[in-house]
Amino acid sequence: MTPLLEVCDLNISFPHATGPLSVPVDDVSFTVSAGELVALVGESGCGKTLTGLALPRLLPRGAEIGPQSAIRFAGTDLTRLPDRAMRSYRGRRIAMVFQDPMTSLNPVMRVGRQIAEAIEAHQSVSRAETRARVLSLLGEVGIADPGQRIDAYPHELSGGMRQRVLIAMALAAEPDLLIADEPTTALDVTVQAQILELLDRLRAARGMAVLLITHDLGIVAGRADRVLVMYAGRLAESAPTTTLFRTPAHPYTQGLFASLPRLDHEARRLTPISGTVPRPDQWPAGCRFHPRCPVAIARCAEQRPPFALVGPDQRAACWVAQGVTE
Amino acid sequence: MRSGARTGLVILVGLATVAVIGPWFAPDHDIQGNLLTGTLQLPSAAHWLGTDALARDIFARLAYGARVSLTVAGLAVAVATVIGVWVGLTASAPSRVLAGVAERAINLGLAMPRVIVLLVLLAGTGQIATGWLGLVLGLTGWPAIARLVRGEALRLREAAFVAASQALGASSGRVLWREILPGTLPALLVAATLGVADAVLLEAGLSFIGVGVRPPTPSWGNMIYEARDHLMDAPWLLLAPCVALVLTTAAATLLGESLRRSLLPESR
Amino acid sequence: MTGWLIRRTADAALTALVAVVLLVILVHLLPGDPLAPILRDRGADPATAAALAARWGTNRTILQSLAALFTGVIHGDLGLSLSAQRPVLDVLADHLGPTLLLGSLTLLIDFTVGLALGVWTALHADLATARWVSALSVVGYTVPSFVVGTVLVWLFAVKLGWLPSGSIADPLLSSSAGTWAILADHLRHLVLPLAALVIATIAVPLRQQRSAVFEVAAQPWVLAARARGVAPARIAWRHCWRPALTPIVTLLGLWLPLLVAGAVFVEVVFNWPGMGLLLAQATIDRDVPVVVAGGALLIVTVQAGSLLADVLYHVVDPRQRPT
Repeated sequence: MTPLLEVCDLNISFPHATGPLSVPVDDVSFTVSAGELVALVGESGCGKTLTGLALPRLLPRGAEIGPQSAIRFAGTDLTRLPDRAMRSYRGRRIAMVFQDPMTSLNPVMRVGRQIAEAIEAHQSVSRAETRARVLSLLGEVGIADPGQRIDAYPHELSGGMRQRVLIAMALAAEPDLLIADEPTTALDVTVQAQILELLDRLRAARGMAVLLITHDLGIVAGRADRVLVMYAGRLAESAPTTTLFRTPAHPYTQGLFASLPRLDHEARRLTPISGTVPRPDQWPAGCRFHPRCPVAIARCAEQRPPFALVGPDQRAACWVAQGVTE
Repeated sequence: MRSGARTGLVILVGLATVAVIGPWFAPDHDIQGNLLTGTLQLPSAAHWLGTDALARDIFARLAYGARVSLTVAGLAVAVATVIGVWVGLTASAPSRVLAGVAERAINLGLAMPRVIVLLVLLAGTGQIATGWLGLVLGLTGWPAIARLVRGEALRLREAAFVAASQALGASSGRVLWREILPGTLPALLVAATLGVADAVLLEAGLSFIGVGVRPPTPSWGNMIYEARDHLMDAPWLLLAPCVALVLTTAAATLLGESLRRSLLPESR
Repeated sequence: MTGWLIRRTADAALTALVAVVLLVILVHLLPGDPLAPILRDRGADPATAAALAARWGTNRTILQSLAALFTGVIHGDLGLSLSAQRPVLDVLADHLGPTLLLGSLTLLIDFTVGLALGVWTALHADLATARWVSALSVVGYTVPSFVVGTVLVWLFAVKLGWLPSGSIADPLLSSSAGTWAILADHLRHLVLPLAALVIATIAVPLRQQRSAVFEVAAQPWVLAARARGVAPARIAWRHCWRPALTPIVTLLGLWLPLLVAGAVFVEVVFNWPGMGLLLAQATIDRDVPVVVAGGALLIVTVQAGSLLADVLYHVVDPRQRPT
């Protein structure tokens, strides 16, 4: 069965920016199947948000997708579509939930109206019917007393409620793929769990695929079907969640796990990954992780490792993981 | 220094120089030449910018006018700043009574329409001293400065470094003097520079309608007024003071806006 | 909301009151007798002088003046103008019309063309023309209005002779000349003063709107709206312009006094018979009743404008609505 979303060699650059050419997303390839929850994990600055924005073609001004890249959604290559045609995809087939619920909502517009916009942009529905649908959406995302909240302004709602409103907006036109960019980062821990629960429930109920972009490995466990790890603009590893957590192949992923505190082991010292994340204009040659890698060999500094299979369903861009010894 | 600020500063310094030195080697701004043959002359070697309807040297008048305008503007800004800072800081004081009184004063000051008050205070026959003109402009201009200072001071009171200073035991007077007042200086500097442009414009306008600097003392404003009668036969009479006025205000505005961009990054 | 509104209005009224009192005090403190020139001309003796002073009210104390003003407002009698020898109320009424005309047209153009240009220059910021438009507006703002006016007069009235150099109408045009001719004449006289005022003021709403659109277009909610598939036109209006409206609206309120005050300098340049010209002339002539009445009117208008700006600000931005 063909996957719902196929990203092939996604390359995003800023060709007109001053200074040396910056390619913040470099040859990223992955797939998402219908109903799957795929997590895209990485530190800030690794390019995961840009990757997410590229899918509905909402990249900032000045960004360009490379000519060799392809984003195939249900068969159609989105990179070849004019913007007018893309509009029919946005919201209706691919929807996006953003990080900061306060600034992602228009402060002078009632939340009900903003949700209704998502519906009205794609279908001609009567006002009454739209309102009914918005009310049911608000209920579906777990907002108590939707009748009162529908006419509220964003500043009158709490952070958690605002994020639920954003989710309701994203779901309004019944998309096939939901991209959630750090949906819980701006919220307290207790609310985080509720929102993630909600996303999971909605996914199951609607058969919707979800691409969850986050820097927090912790929220991924027990929810995601597959995990993609990104580092410095490239994919480092991809695997089903359980495999990744049990046997991470890439030294970066291993380092991430080693630096996480755990409740099930005896207390031990945390081992952070040595060094710091390099800036895009200072990315090392060869494998970008090699200066910080505890098991780097000579070839790592010279040649870029391919994103190859290292297990039945696991890929890693690492010479060592692929069994190369020199 | 940014190019805008540099240009503005250069022009202003040049004008100040002309204002100070000019009348010294072109001293006959009020001497009327030969009224039969010497009026409305085109620029020549003897008269760099020509002569006006009363055969007076335009360049000399322009230079003297520069002195008048810059003096008035400088005095106006100085007076407005001194009063404005004092009232503005009082309006930000922790004491509710004191702050309340100062705030009411500022609101009242802002409620008085500046042009009317100026007209009332300045209209009348005879000459008025440039000092009085500058003083009056300053006395009507302090509320805007006070409002600005009050806003900045209130903002600074909330700042962490003020709390730190108080936690270390500094008296409120010391906090005011050492922390808050210096903190208002960037905004004040911008306001003062723009205030100079404003004052020059206001003085010129008042002189234009006959209420500011009166003839025969030259001011760019009244020179423009006098030029109106000769638009047909001597348009250069209009040109010289217009250019001088525009140049001065543009320079001060450029400098002020440049300062604002560099000193106040989150400017509103 | 109503509680706040009442308090705010009371505050404005009180401020206006105190300001008017201050104005009267100020006028009284000035030296010089307004009747002096008239008395000199007539060579009057002290008895006549005293009688005239009583008639024209120039010998009142501050309190008497204030009382006269307030009872006058209630009864609709603001005294007599010394220069015009007519009721002050009539003089004010005569001059209010031309100022209202000029002021309202200026505001209209500023807040339609100015705002539209502001949005356009922001949305097309990379075009050279956009930068020129913005720069030119600043030039218009920096150059003093009476200079702009005088230059316009020189260019269009004196050099080219296309338009009249002043006044509101041609005094030689007979009133039986037909409505079209009269209208055309009024329009011809309106063009230059209007142009001068617009040139001098359009920069403010233009640049305010421009920077507001810049700020707003970068906001995340615009991206979120695009992500929902909302059409660009609707995004431009509901998600860009509408949130940026707040500062513009306050500007409108604060400029309302322009309708009444008149732009003094432009009116003098064009001999436009409005409030500005009246007040300038009245202060020079020491026509105290007119100065006081006109000044009081202006004070009240300024307060009303500020109140309006405050109310509009709270209405337009739901975040600011006082509970």
